[in-house]
Amino acid sequence: MLKLILAIITGLVGAALLHLVIILALPYFSDRDAYTKVVAQGEAYRFHVIGNRPDNKGLVKDDPFLDVAVCSFDLTERPVRLTTHNGVPFWSLATFDAASNETFSINDRTAAASGLDVIIANPIQATALRKTMPASLMQSILVETRQMQGYAVLRVMAPQASYKPAAAAFLKDATCTPVAWK
Amino acid sequence: MVPSSLRKDDTLSVFRLPLFLALILAIAFGGGIWSTLVALNATVGFGAIKLGAWQAFPQAQTVDADPYAKAHRANAGRLLLGGAEGLRFTADVDESGERLNGNCTYAIIGKTPVARLWTLFASDRNDQPPSGNADLPLALNSRIILRERDGSFVVQVSSEAQAGNWLAVQPARSFRLTLTLLDTPTAGSSGLIDLSMPRVQKIGCGHA
Repeated sequence: MLKLILAIITGLVGAALLHLVIILALPYFSDRDAYTKVVAQGEAYRFHVIGNRPDNKGLVKDDPFLDVAVCSFDLTERPVRLTTHNGVPFWSLATFDAASNETFSINDRTAAASGLDVIIANPIQATALRKTMPASLMQSILVETRQMQGYAVLRVMAPQASYKPAAAAFLKDATCTPVAWK
Repeated sequence: MVPSSLRKDDTLSVFRLPLFLALILAIAFGGGIWSTLVALNATVGFGAIKLGAWQAFPQAQTVDADPYAKAHRANAGRLLLGGAEGLRFTADVDESGERLNGNCTYAIIGKTPVARLWTLFASDRNDQPPSGNADLPLALNSRIILRERDGSFVVQVSSEAQAGNWLAVQPARSFRLTLTLLDTPTAGSSGLIDLSMPRVQKIGCGHA
């Protein structure tokens, strides 16, 4: 009987250990995380619009009034520049690293009046850009991050059905392109 | 001459150690995997802000999120709202702590914390949001809602049509309310405790 109780306790300790191992290791092994799904959307450096229903990659827009587009990028070679124009009631952008940790976020009121213009760069690129900023990039917000891989999520609000075309055009015109830095 | 009972005991003890090992492994693997699945489904992590029936996880998308939040978000794979974008509140229960059910009518009364815009919708337990262009009012937002003179609002949540602001839900199913505050200073601060969310009150159940 004592051995049976000992066996059960040992089993429970093992269960607790396994629980901790799975919880701590899951972010490194998951193939269902947001970054994997965003990369699976298609080519990088392009905004992909997310649909109403889960696509075969598993991404779904999670608010009926917010249209969403995602873009994956890699800063190893070149920084990435994200731009849009204005003209919708609300838009917001968040960038994440490959572990889906937020690196930067902005909305239309915190951005300049002309719309979104953000450059995501790693520290070396950011230093080089600050030294010799090309005139065309003078207005851009420069965001420095140490995480090379990442993705951007652009949301736009269409509070009524009549805003849908404007929101769709907004996402269609959004760019996510690598820029020259040296 | 060995007594026969002792010999029987000997053959049993051969199986005893493997049996105990099997039991230990079954409890360890079964319990470990089961508890992990339960934990991942039950909660988005620690660090929730609770305001009445509503709860939000302002740290869930950051690097400071706890291991449970990180595991949950790696498993769920959803696109989370950044700090400057907004903050998402969900409610599974009403003010009295009872689970929200489509057979009952609820009233969401009051004001939201300071936010430029907000959206409200009901989803099923799988977190599948309604599509925006259905015939029924499955989702509301701050631009299309009718307000009282003082800026507060009353939203009737019911499977049957209501006067005023009506949020349609499926009958006879439990549901989850999601209220997303867009461009809100509450997302970045932990002083959220002083703020008030609208109350979720049960009006009645059935056709009474």
